[in-house]
Amino acid sequence: MVKALRRRWSRWVHKRIPRSDTQRCVQRNIFILPTGAGVVFAFLLVIMLLTAINYQNSLIYLMTFLLGAVFVAAMHQTHRNLSGLELALIKAGEGFAGDDIPFTFRAAASDENAAAIQLSTTDRHLEHQNVLAGEPLDLVFLVKSTARGYLGMDQLRIETRFPFGLLSAWSWLRPVANGVVYPRPISPPDKGMSSTEGDDESEERSADGHDHAELRPWRTGDLSQRVLWKRYARSGDMIIAHWEGEQGSPQWLDYGAFPGVDQELRLSYLSAQVLEREKSGHPFGLRLPGQVIDPDGGAAHKVRCLRALALFGVPNPLNRVAA
Amino acid sequence: MKVKGHSVPTRALIWLIISFGILILPQFDRLPLWLTAVCVTLGGWRWLAQLGHLRLPGRLLRTAIMLATVALYVITVNGRFSVDTAASFFVLAAGLKWLETRASRDFYVLFFILTYLAAVNFLFQQGIGWTVVNLIGVVCLLIGLQVLNAPTLAGAIRASWKRLGMMTLKTLPIVVLLFVFFPRMAPLWSVPLVSDRGTTGISDTMTPGSISDLAQSSERAFRAAFGGAIPVHRDRYWRGLILDRFDGETWDQRDDAAFIRPGRVALDGGIGELESNQYDVLMDATNQYWAFALENSVAVSDNVRVGPGDLFRFKRPADTSVRYRMAVEPAGANLEGSTSLTDLDRRRYLQLPPTGNPRARALAEKMRQKTHGARELAQSILERFRFDEYFYTLRPPVMPENGIDNLLFDEKRGFCAHYASAAAFLLRAAGVPARVVVGYQGGEVVGKSEYVLVRQYDAHAWVEVWLSDAGWTRMDPTAAISPDRIESGLRDAMAEEGSFLANNWTSPQRYGDLAVVQWASLYLDRINYQWQRWVVGYQGQSQMDLMSRLPGGVGLRELGYFSAGLVGAALLIAGLFSLWQQHSGRSRDPYSRLIQRWHRLLERKGLGIEPGDTPEQLARRVGDEYPAAQKPAAAFARGLNNHYYGVSHKALRHARKQDLARMRRLLAVFRTALHQTDKRHQKPR
Repeated sequence: MVKALRRRWSRWVHKRIPRSDTQRCVQRNIFILPTGAGVVFAFLLVIMLLTAINYQNSLIYLMTFLLGAVFVAAMHQTHRNLSGLELALIKAGEGFAGDDIPFTFRAAASDENAAAIQLSTTDRHLEHQNVLAGEPLDLVFLVKSTARGYLGMDQLRIETRFPFGLLSAWSWLRPVANGVVYPRPISPPDKGMSSTEGDDESEERSADGHDHAELRPWRTGDLSQRVLWKRYARSGDMIIAHWEGEQGSPQWLDYGAFPGVDQELRLSYLSAQVLEREKSGHPFGLRLPGQVIDPDGGAAHKVRCLRALALFGVPNPLNRVAA
Repeated sequence: MKVKGHSVPTRALIWLIISFGILILPQFDRLPLWLTAVCVTLGGWRWLAQLGHLRLPGRLLRTAIMLATVALYVITVNGRFSVDTAASFFVLAAGLKWLETRASRDFYVLFFILTYLAAVNFLFQQGIGWTVVNLIGVVCLLIGLQVLNAPTLAGAIRASWKRLGMMTLKTLPIVVLLFVFFPRMAPLWSVPLVSDRGTTGISDTMTPGSISDLAQSSERAFRAAFGGAIPVHRDRYWRGLILDRFDGETWDQRDDAAFIRPGRVALDGGIGELESNQYDVLMDATNQYWAFALENSVAVSDNVRVGPGDLFRFKRPADTSVRYRMAVEPAGANLEGSTSLTDLDRRRYLQLPPTGNPRARALAEKMRQKTHGARELAQSILERFRFDEYFYTLRPPVMPENGIDNLLFDEKRGFCAHYASAAAFLLRAAGVPARVVVGYQGGEVVGKSEYVLVRQYDAHAWVEVWLSDAGWTRMDPTAAISPDRIESGLRDAMAEEGSFLANNWTSPQRYGDLAVVQWASLYLDRINYQWQRWVVGYQGQSQMDLMSRLPGGVGLRELGYFSAGLVGAALLIAGLFSLWQQHSGRSRDPYSRLIQRWHRLLERKGLGIEPGDTPEQLARRVGDEYPAAQKPAAAFARGLNNHYYGVSHKALRHARKQDLARMRRLLAVFRTALHQTDKRHQKPR
């Protein structure tokens, strides 16, 4: 019975709050109820009213009405505190399994401050965030990861009890975007197992590193340091300089190099190897069944490889939108 | 990140402590001294702990403190149960809670206790000044709550004041309307007395000398407003109670009111127009059953009843201030006036102790032989007081044994109680039924005969003597000795002696020669009188009186409907208003406004926008359709991306304005480009 009711409720909520990475809190998606303290307060008001009636005391009547009005006005205030708040998931983080994965949200208040906002999932809280009008605030919410693959956030509760804590107004953000969880790096027992080719040439090549830069248009995820600002000032186009620097002879990390090892463990080994190679600055490539990443170096390449490892054999989560 | 049961921030705690201090102020004269000390200590302890100078006690010590104070409380209260003791308990609970305010939960517990304490305070103090004090206490609580709920918000305290002010202002009309129209129903059940100790004012026994304690008090006893002309000072005898039994030292009442369960709180006397023979008495709390009334009065309001001896009684001790209405009828219209005295009553009013005061008895016998009838006897007693060397004084000598003999023949100095006692004794000894009446005499006229203000020092005792042709007749020996007391009051009567309020340094009345002090004190009283009459006194009967002036039969039920409708309408209006605000109010974020404009532009050009479209996708689609607009569209989309997904905004805040201006320009360029493309497209067609 309770279960059925709960299911109905969540279906109704899901209909009201469709999955989206951004959410603007408005009348139709804000819920408001008194908190425990609010219920006690209402009870206290009833007691005060009874006291006023039984003692025929006008001033207690007056105080009861005043506090009751404050309570109702607080309902308005609490609602308005949340109303107009825009929360957008701007970056679903990436990280290793077992770590806390940062999800970065941008909160922007409308014309009024949104004070003391609390973000929470079933097991985590982020309290007392004040989003001031005209000053968007970036919030990092850590989500615990367990296994590699996509890490979704089912729903994030956006709540406020401001100003008196007697009422709680809340809404949910049900993000679409997923974080990516890399396999937990585990050093393989024997290092000799990965195939090495032409390891020795790498040092000479990196000496003349910065000579040719590849220019390409700006795209999401590019660091602002890499934008050619002078050029931007001239033409208004944002161009990224991609320095072909640390070129070494490629080294291949191969899924097939660990015969007989369980798939997850293999991926963990590869994960550790990717980190190790990237640290040492040697270019490397990654071979997975059905997928080959050509040798390269640098942070972006590392991320690309780790993502490939993370999502190896994982179905695309986009069908979640329908849920 | 996971913060549960967070500690109470100092900025919030200070408001709670301030509020506690303010809210026990109205209790200061009722709280046992030890309790005040405990509260100050515990509150201070909590504060020092917050500052880090002290540690909060561990569980063992805390339990010990709790047990000790509760034991002390139980001993102090000693089984009595009244609002007074309950209020002390609230104060004690709040005091003990200080040692336990660790989490915000405890903050709320204190908030609730203190809020109710504020309500209880209104049972004790209803003056306008105390009302303000109480409300300030509650406001401090609400400020503290706001700070507690947004501890990291800059400028929270100022904002809290402002917010609370706005909330109050916006809801004030509703509060006022509710105050006027909420049905003031009769009490639902009997509730404990507000206080059952420390009765104030006149007591129900009189040992000559006891009233002179009251003479040192300038506390207000009651105020009376008259429909017609205010009777002159010497006629303002406010009868309170009759003392008919004398044991040689003390006068008291024969039928001690046996314990009566206090009834419900009485309704008020109403606010209808006073008729010319009516008067309203607004009496301060005495915790006694009796009401004060002029001679020949009958009760008009139904919260007082007439009892034996033409005295008036409440159904419940006046534990808070109470208003009642009386009317003066022509003499003799009262109940007892002309009926004859029963044998039982005659014996009762002739009762004397078997021995004592032999000289007075002898004098009475001599006087009885010399005179004919009761009237003449009474006259001769008054003449003796008037022409012999008797003095009226606030500093009577101590007369422990045979006090009446002592007064009449040796000392000849006394207060009204002495002379009333002596006169009644002489009358009874001479075989004339007599009784002592205590109450007040006189009172000060405030304003242009706005009302009569009677203070405790107006307390008085006199005698009523039974004359077979006229019934009970007032006889005031004090009037014979000190006419000033009766004509113009105690201050003038004591002018020579200089003993008026001699022990009461703080009373403004003591400084009667300072006109400013007098004026200010009376002015304050007038403000308070209006407050008491119109706000505090606005209760059941007053409401009905007011409503009866409205057309149509407005009863409690109608008022109930009206109040409910009022609240409903207010909520509806507030709801509609916020809905309207939300729909009409455009987003204030300039970027979302830009996006809205952009989307509108695109839609007008027939470019459908899907919910999931990113700016760049849109820009690409624009480029496909209108190549000329491709460049600005792409730049605009990039700008948006930069804004929303770029480096954290704080770093770029200084660049915001320029960025926004650039975006606006871009949008304008895009728009012209779009239109031009449009025209070119149309021409070939």
